[in-house]
Amino acid sequence: MLERILTDDFRSKLKLTFRDIEDQQDRSDEKEFAKDEVRIREELLDTVTPHASDVALDEDYLLAAVDGSGSGDLMTLDDVRVHLLSTSTVVLDTNTQAGDLFRPLDRAVLEDALGRTQPFLDCHWHSGVRGDARTKMADSLAEIYPLKDLGALVLPFFRDITKRQLKSMSELSGSSYGAYASSLGTMESLITREQMLTNPAVHDELRTASEYAAARIVLTSNIHPKYLLLDGAMSIFMHQARQYPSMPSGFMLRELCSLAREKHVILCAVSKNHTIPFAHRIAKMAQETFGEGSKWFCLLPGSEDPGGGLYIYQDRTYIPPRLAVPYLFSFSMENRPSRIDFDRVWWLENVFVQDDPSKTRENEKALFQEIEFMSRDARWYGYPVALAQAHEECKLSYEDLRLAREVASDVRHELGLDPRRTTPYREDFNL
Amino acid sequence: MTLEIRNLGELYGKVSVGDQTSLGIMGNNRDVSVGEIFMIYSHRDGHERVFFFRVLALQNYLRQVDDMARVAGTLMVEGDAYLSGIQRNMLLQVGGKMLGYAELKDGKWEFRSPRRLPDHLADVYRPVPNVSDDTVRRMLASQTGGEVFIGNLQAGEATLDVPVNIPSDKLPMHMGIFGSTGSGKSNLMMVLIKSILDSNLEVIRNPNEKRTRISAFCIDPHDEFAKGVTKCGIQNIVEAMDQDTRTAVIGDFYYLTTHLKATPREIQRYGREIRILWEEILPHDLYTIMDFTPQMVSFIDSQYATNRENWMSAIMDMKEDSEDTQGAQGVPRGTLNAVQRRLRFIERSPIFIQSGSSILSDVFVAMETGRVLVVNTSLMSDTEQFLLTTVIARTVSDLRRAAKSSGTLGDFESQGAIRLPGPFFNRIKAKAKSFYSAGGQSDESGVRDPRDMPVILVTVEEAPSILNPELMRGQSVFKDLSRQGRKFNIGLIVVSQQVSVLDNVILSQMNTEINLRLGNEREIQACIENASVNISGFEDEFRVMARGEAILTASYRELPLPVRIPLFDTLFERDKSRYKASKSTRASEKHTF
Repeated sequence: MLERILTDDFRSKLKLTFRDIEDQQDRSDEKEFAKDEVRIREELLDTVTPHASDVALDEDYLLAAVDGSGSGDLMTLDDVRVHLLSTSTVVLDTNTQAGDLFRPLDRAVLEDALGRTQPFLDCHWHSGVRGDARTKMADSLAEIYPLKDLGALVLPFFRDITKRQLKSMSELSGSSYGAYASSLGTMESLITREQMLTNPAVHDELRTASEYAAARIVLTSNIHPKYLLLDGAMSIFMHQARQYPSMPSGFMLRELCSLAREKHVILCAVSKNHTIPFAHRIAKMAQETFGEGSKWFCLLPGSEDPGGGLYIYQDRTYIPPRLAVPYLFSFSMENRPSRIDFDRVWWLENVFVQDDPSKTRENEKALFQEIEFMSRDARWYGYPVALAQAHEECKLSYEDLRLAREVASDVRHELGLDPRRTTPYREDFNL
Repeated sequence: MTLEIRNLGELYGKVSVGDQTSLGIMGNNRDVSVGEIFMIYSHRDGHERVFFFRVLALQNYLRQVDDMARVAGTLMVEGDAYLSGIQRNMLLQVGGKMLGYAELKDGKWEFRSPRRLPDHLADVYRPVPNVSDDTVRRMLASQTGGEVFIGNLQAGEATLDVPVNIPSDKLPMHMGIFGSTGSGKSNLMMVLIKSILDSNLEVIRNPNEKRTRISAFCIDPHDEFAKGVTKCGIQNIVEAMDQDTRTAVIGDFYYLTTHLKATPREIQRYGREIRILWEEILPHDLYTIMDFTPQMVSFIDSQYATNRENWMSAIMDMKEDSEDTQGAQGVPRGTLNAVQRRLRFIERSPIFIQSGSSILSDVFVAMETGRVLVVNTSLMSDTEQFLLTTVIARTVSDLRRAAKSSGTLGDFESQGAIRLPGPFFNRIKAKAKSFYSAGGQSDESGVRDPRDMPVILVTVEEAPSILNPELMRGQSVFKDLSRQGRKFNIGLIVVSQQVSVLDNVILSQMNTEINLRLGNEREIQACIENASVNISGFEDEFRVMARGEAILTASYRELPLPVRIPLFDTLFERDKSRYKASKSTRASEKHTF
């Protein structure tokens, strides 16, 4: 392959591809960006005022982060797949008064508070047989997520989406969602994308639910962090017709947001990989405006916000996500900007001030001052340290997976089950 | 199992990688230094063992950090950066050499060379002074035991209360002391002398124990041993003894010097002047210390054959134009001149005398009665010193050789007469017979095995001057002694700043090496190559050695032992009360003598 990659022919193909993108994509978007440019520079973009490292906070606080990892093919037994899921919860103390910044909570104390070991490993399975996948996945999700009352699980979404017009499940039948009330009674019925239940889709759902479950355990524990950070975005994939989450994880996220508000915890989701168009242009603009090396954030407003949404993402369905407020931010010129999402309901209550953009900006700057402060660890400068640590702890390396597969094989042997190879099929042919 | 794991010391880390010769350990971020000894507790397959590991390399390791340079750069550039929870992720990657392992067999600790591997992720313990001493002492008993104390086991910069000794029965297998100027050789020699005196004292005080006394002829090139380098010296030990102990251990004298009158009065009381008669010198002695052409050797040998013990006077008296040199023997004039030139230093020397009273028989008696002699050679030329050492070494070895090759005292007399200069042998014959007799003084009486006689140690200072390959190619006294001394219970202590220039015969016969700090890479390498135990990989350790630190290697031990040699003054202060006999000791000594 190498000799093909190094040919002029390959280079020519790449040139054609990039030119095509340039012709078809960038030019049209460029026009859109031009429409937003002034608004971004003057209204949405601002600097972060860093907290001085040597100044102690009036009140130190805890911040928690949850991340997860997994594999959808720990073992393949014909059309049954065994999923390996890992989550890690990290809790740090700002600890400015003692000078030992962002000190991790003692592992034993943390495990005791959460009631589970850290990192936490879990296994689930599903089969590819039509119908079975949905049923088994529903069982797994019900097992994974700590909240077992389905009404309590789905209500927060409807309450938030209707801006609190719906206060209980009994009011659902009289609303626009009335027709679907009977479809919200079981976990299985919440899975409305049955036809799309491919192995990766199932695995993603199980993994997302695991992370939300870990986050929920933090919220219901006695840890009481000020922040709870999730990895990813606060996107909810909606059923096109029914206009509610097409998978249970969407309801779980909203339930989590609702619980976080109740517990006075700032829930946010940070995403390194994002598809915000023109992020690089916004970063360049920030550098030009505030100087090289400046730390900045930029609100990505939605249609309901003053001034409406931006042109650059008007055709993107999930930007901004339903019931969430995304920002772009950069605290390190070494890295590309990241995205952070907040629960919109919380944001409206705590950050946004109606008809007072300067007060809103003041709140935003205070919020990002704290987020920036928690993102200065030299190992992952510019990225929230708790989330980075959670990521480091939960990740499953190739070697981890290999060992896990060996253990799985041993366990089958112990149980007296017929021996099966646990390595991926491709390895049979040395591929 | 009698091992209390907590007594091994503090739990330091875990074995991570390696094989049976070298290991990698992941340990706490502690102030570890190269040279430290760790213990690894292993319970593989039900076999409880404690492996000994020596630190040779250290590296900082930050968990969760793949790119240290990037993190360090970020900390530099971003002034506000921190490292959250880094303390627990700061580890030390420790590389080193497996020294061997101790295993309890039938209630006794045995030590074995590295031939096994500790268990997976075995716990690593760092010895703690006052906690681990007793356990380490018991486990390493077979590696540290003996009668002659050298120092204490060193674990990095700390020293454990684990005395490291050399067994007296291994001393005749020769010992090398190697170290550059300032490495602590003088202090080591003083400690060694003190240990020999202590050992002899123990023999005297415990007559029922089957132990022999140790004699030593110790060259003191800087006249430091008696007075001491700083505060105390051997003289302080002598003075700390009560009269009976002194008589038994020291005898009439212990200090030999060229000019007794120039010696402080208190030492003078125990001193004698070094005088050796020409007649006590054999041609062989001269061949040992300087180069002679075959013509010269032939000439000297012929003179010795003709004139026996008067050979040297005969040569010195020859005149250039005399017929002796031109006559029937046909000795060219040049040869005579060259020989006379070479012998001229003897003529000029105050210690080699043509007539008068010699010290040689007193030295012989001292050596055969287990005494230590400190020989001040500070006012001697190198050649004088070498000749003196050679004459002493050859005399005691010839006498022991004569005894060894004799069945009866009668045989011994004949053998002695052949091997030694006549007048000297006649002077000491009676004494020698009393020393070597297995019982009775008649000619038919049997002769003792030299192994039951005192161990005699002869130090060879500035060893490269006489133990170099050129001189050792000829008829060196030391070549024979190094090969056969063991049979006669005579050992050499070869003291040198350099190892690389010593003859291979000497090096290969050496079974104990005390390696102090060395001057350069070449010497370090030579030292490692010639050690009796494999100490390859210890290069870095030699480079960081401090004064008074040594690595003791011995062919009869599996473990290279890092030793801290205490200051003589400290040892003397600690032990000085031991030199006065208690009432009960005195009674027992009286009974014994």
